[in-house]
Amino acid sequence: MTLQTQLVLRAMLADPAAERYGLQLCAETGLPSGTIYPIVARLEQLGWVESSWEDPSEHVAEGRPRRRYYRLTEEGAEQARDALARVYRSRKQPRLSPGVAWPDVTGMS
Amino acid sequence: MNRPPPPSPPSAADNGPVAGLLRLLAGTRPGADAGSIKRAYDVAAYWHRGQQLKSGDAYITHPLAVATVLAEIGADDQILCAALLHDTLEDTSYTLVALREEFGAEIADLVAGVMALDAAPDGEIALSGTGSANTAVGTYDSRIVVIKLADRLHSMRTLRHLPPPAQVHASRHTLRVLVPLARRLRLEAIRSELENLAAGALKRYGPRATTVSGRLLAATTALLPTATRARWREEWLGELSVLPTRRERITFAAHILPGMPRLAATLHRLAHGKQAHRQ
Repeated sequence: MTLQTQLVLRAMLADPAAERYGLQLCAETGLPSGTIYPIVARLEQLGWVESSWEDPSEHVAEGRPRRRYYRLTEEGAEQARDALARVYRSRKQPRLSPGVAWPDVTGMS
Repeated sequence: MNRPPPPSPPSAADNGPVAGLLRLLAGTRPGADAGSIKRAYDVAAYWHRGQQLKSGDAYITHPLAVATVLAEIGADDQILCAALLHDTLEDTSYTLVALREEFGAEIADLVAGVMALDAAPDGEIALSGTGSANTAVGTYDSRIVVIKLADRLHSMRTLRHLPPPAQVHASRHTLRVLVPLARRLRLEAIRSELENLAAGALKRYGPRATTVSGRLLAATTALLPTATRARWREEWLGELSVLPTRRERITFAAHILPGMPRLAATLHRLAHGKQAHRQ
């Protein structure tokens, strides 16, 4: 699992039930936009994260376009905790290169 | 105070705002029950008294316009009465029991059905011929749906009175839910007018790429699988629109670009149904 993915998962696990939009994840992780979106798309593909458009009552009232919100699924929160724990136990330096092929985030053991 | 108006004889029909509707009916459907239609108008006007539309017009002009749309496509007397009364249960203290007593079970079922349809989850609207709504299984009589379509058509015709985000929301909902229903009912004139009004509003107020950063983002999505572009484009233009400075907007847009090959690869995998290997 890349360091960036770990950062995203850590940020989301800080409040696992919360919904977050892309910019918010950028701010919470310090990662650039181009890094966040491929990660959440990948996590969504794995079923760890689900996304949906914001309820119109909120964005219409605030007069701005609707946001896409991401949240951890129950399974995703559990898997993310396990994966982060495995990374910690393995004491390997997390990979920093963003260019490498995406490793299977569940295959860390 | 809650006493409904006395019934007015059909001869009074030439007076007041409802006269136009009755004249239209006299020309297209001479057998129409002008007395009941006038009565439905009077009752609706009584209960909506003092209420206003966003345009500032008296509220009753809305149900009257809806009934007129329906009269133009040849709707029957019950549909026209229900159209005139369609917002009374939701927006006034008029009750279903009183409506049923005054106008009969068929019209009451249509009005209750329109109200139920407003609250229905988008994807769960099936047509039936039962004369009423069955919210448990998500079926609605076609006549209920026809009233809803005319209702939305008038709302879309007067959309300019709403703030832009509400216009965008109504337009999206129209395209997603109402247009397919009009198509299924083969109401081509209503379908195409709804579609044009919704598309026009979205073009005016929907997500747009007018700034440097917006154009950069819009161009960036060309790298993604076609079916997924609209979603990401809307999501990113939305994020862009809340960033306060030009510098932040350009940084956001410029940083999206290097991530595109990876996002495209993920989305292509998804599109081809190849599930990632999981333990």
